[in-house]
Amino acid sequence: MFNLEGYGHLLLEGAKLTILVGLFSMVIALALGMVAALCKLSKIWILDFGAGVYTTVVRGVPELVLILLVYYGGPTLIQDASGFFGYDVYVDLNPFVAGSMTIGFIYGAFATEVFRGAFMAVSRGQIEAARACGMGSVMAFRRIQLPQMWRFAIPGLGNIWMVLIKATALISVIQLPELMRNADVAARAIRKPFTCYFVASLLYLLITILSLVFQQWAEKRASRGVRRE
Amino acid sequence: MDQSRKVSVRAENIYKKFGNLEVLKGISLEAREGDVISLIGSSGSGKSTFLRCINLLEAPTSGDIYVGEEHIKLKKNRLGKTVAVDRKQVDRIRTKLAMVFQHFNLWSHMTVLENVVEAPVHVLKKEKKAAKDAAMALLEKVGIADRHHYFPAQLSGGQQQRAAIARALAMEPDLLLFDEPTSALDPELVGEVLKVMKDLVKEGRTMIMATHEMGFAREVSSHVVFLDQGIAEDEGSPEYIFGKPQSARCRLFLSNLI
Repeated sequence: MFNLEGYGHLLLEGAKLTILVGLFSMVIALALGMVAALCKLSKIWILDFGAGVYTTVVRGVPELVLILLVYYGGPTLIQDASGFFGYDVYVDLNPFVAGSMTIGFIYGAFATEVFRGAFMAVSRGQIEAARACGMGSVMAFRRIQLPQMWRFAIPGLGNIWMVLIKATALISVIQLPELMRNADVAARAIRKPFTCYFVASLLYLLITILSLVFQQWAEKRASRGVRRE
Repeated sequence: MDQSRKVSVRAENIYKKFGNLEVLKGISLEAREGDVISLIGSSGSGKSTFLRCINLLEAPTSGDIYVGEEHIKLKKNRLGKTVAVDRKQVDRIRTKLAMVFQHFNLWSHMTVLENVVEAPVHVLKKEKKAAKDAAMALLEKVGIADRHHYFPAQLSGGQQQRAAIARALAMEPDLLLFDEPTSALDPELVGEVLKVMKDLVKEGRTMIMATHEMGFAREVSSHVVFLDQGIAEDEGSPEYIFGKPQSARCRLFLSNLI
């Protein structure tokens, strides 16, 4: 159907890397989001404030700017700083690590709000029943709040994943050979921009459709015991 | 009252403020083993709040609570809020004071059986098999053993509340606190819950309940307290409260019910 003139494997390799970068970023986003959500919900004002600064700043700056800032700006900042103290340090960031850390850092801010909402959606009575049985706050969190929270969080997290997997295309600007970058390389090499970018689009679509199937399964699992109207 | 029985719980001079709103203005109550105490009064009179102060779901603004012989140590934090000195103490005494809630509050992600087994296994550290057997016996007792694998959302309100009572009993508590256990139920489901509660009274359980079920309170209580605007306006035997209470407000409250 589409003659990719031998560049098909390059796109598939790219898709594989895109999925890897996506998963790695998502894990970081989930971890950061969970921690920041708990900070926002805590009664300790400095934690709440810190998490507030994080979500406000990160959500307010374009991903592309942050990626460039971290990948190109980060090493020069470190070199200049160490030069100031008399050391000669040469820093070279791995584009995979720099890219997915940055994407994870950004989407962690969005995940924060999803988790915060999900924790607040667990009814007060569920937690009170746990405390009234003598559960400490940690046990009530682990046994009652956490398992119930996922039901409210998964739709929002699925949404974040969809946006995140597409945002990984931005990492192509720092030369990571993921799907977008490889499609670009192939398109230039065989001079078929439509074919190459179109196939890349289909691959992105395939990834997101498979994600939706997974999401539905996860949602069903997290809604165990809750009647769906 | 009979002074020979052991004190289960004693609340002394409990005050509770929410912001500027003073909900409880110095209520004292003593429950001895085998007592069945009903708290009655209109909505907003402080019944639920007082009940929730006993197991510290609400921290009283001031006042003292003794469970058995043990004084629950409270202090003011920097913001002037009352907090427990020793959270472990509060967690420990809560295992002895089981609570049944108006809205059941069964854990929605667990089956009925899992709900009943949860705290005995994870809080009391009971062996799983033994806890399960005990739970099944309790579910049998409240008449929903055949529904043990159902999720709460698949049960009627009456069944949920009976499951919640089984969950409370599974803690083998010294005292049961009932917070308007039938107020959220459809009228035709109230009877089945009251029947289970009556069985508990017959067993000689110590109970404190906030209730709107006057007939039931009159029938089973050993002591009735009428709360009005945060004070114990009148109290005494059910014959006294439902017969000729001194308080005019209490008489008015009861006459308005019919």
